[in-house]
Amino acid sequence: MAIFPILQTAGSGLRTHRIWMDAVADNLANVNTIRPFDEGAFQARYVVAEAIRSDDRDPPGVGGGSRAAAVLFGSSEGRVRYEPTHPYANEQGLVRYPDIELGDQMTQLVMAQRAYQMNLAVVDRARDAYLQALQINGR
Amino acid sequence: MRDLAMRAIHVSLDGLAARQRIIAENLANVDTPGYLAGRVSFEASLREAVSGRAPERTRLSTARSTDPTRVNGNNVDVDTENVSLVETGLRYQLAVESVNVKFRILRAAIRRDG
Repeated sequence: MAIFPILQTAGSGLRTHRIWMDAVADNLANVNTIRPFDEGAFQARYVVAEAIRSDDRDPPGVGGGSRAAAVLFGSSEGRVRYEPTHPYANEQGLVRYPDIELGDQMTQLVMAQRAYQMNLAVVDRARDAYLQALQINGR
Repeated sequence: MRDLAMRAIHVSLDGLAARQRIIAENLANVDTPGYLAGRVSFEASLREAVSGRAPERTRLSTARSTDPTRVNGNNVDVDTENVSLVETGLRYQLAVESVNVKFRILRAAIRRDG
């Protein structure tokens, strides 16, 4: 039984946004991962978040939270560059870079971090509220 | 003093303390390869034991989480553990406060006499 369901909801938000940050970190770590032309490029990771069904809550519809439902992979064609000196280059001197936009990834990182902090604030506030409630009985 | 409610609260305090210890162990092992998060459960057993008016028969069991693992075999999720820590702390305080209320009532009753 969850007597503090808001904590579970906020916890699910923390988990989802941390996975989002993990994905962005993965993309940024591999921004220069070169692959041979004949193989696919490193594919950017996209985390798909979905809402958790909460029809069993009271009132129904509120308080399910979110979860990272799936990870989608970006383009495997990537960006083709001319680097004849690279060991992976083919006869035309082409290699594949990942199709990752740095500005876009940094924006996502900031968004994920802020959302993570907001969910932490929810945990904090809820805990303070419940602690206050516990003091109803005593001093 | 040793009525059913107090005995049940005593058992739940033990269970919650055990849960807090396991959470601390999980957090300490957040990077240990192959480590599976521990989960303490006692509420269902306590509910049955209380309905049979014998809270002391509660079984406290520790299981290993079957959550998916990361590449190094570890499946401890820091956010889950932290939220669990907050919630266990609140439940513990709730139980302790219930005991306090009982003692406060007794004290008031004792003081009234004389």
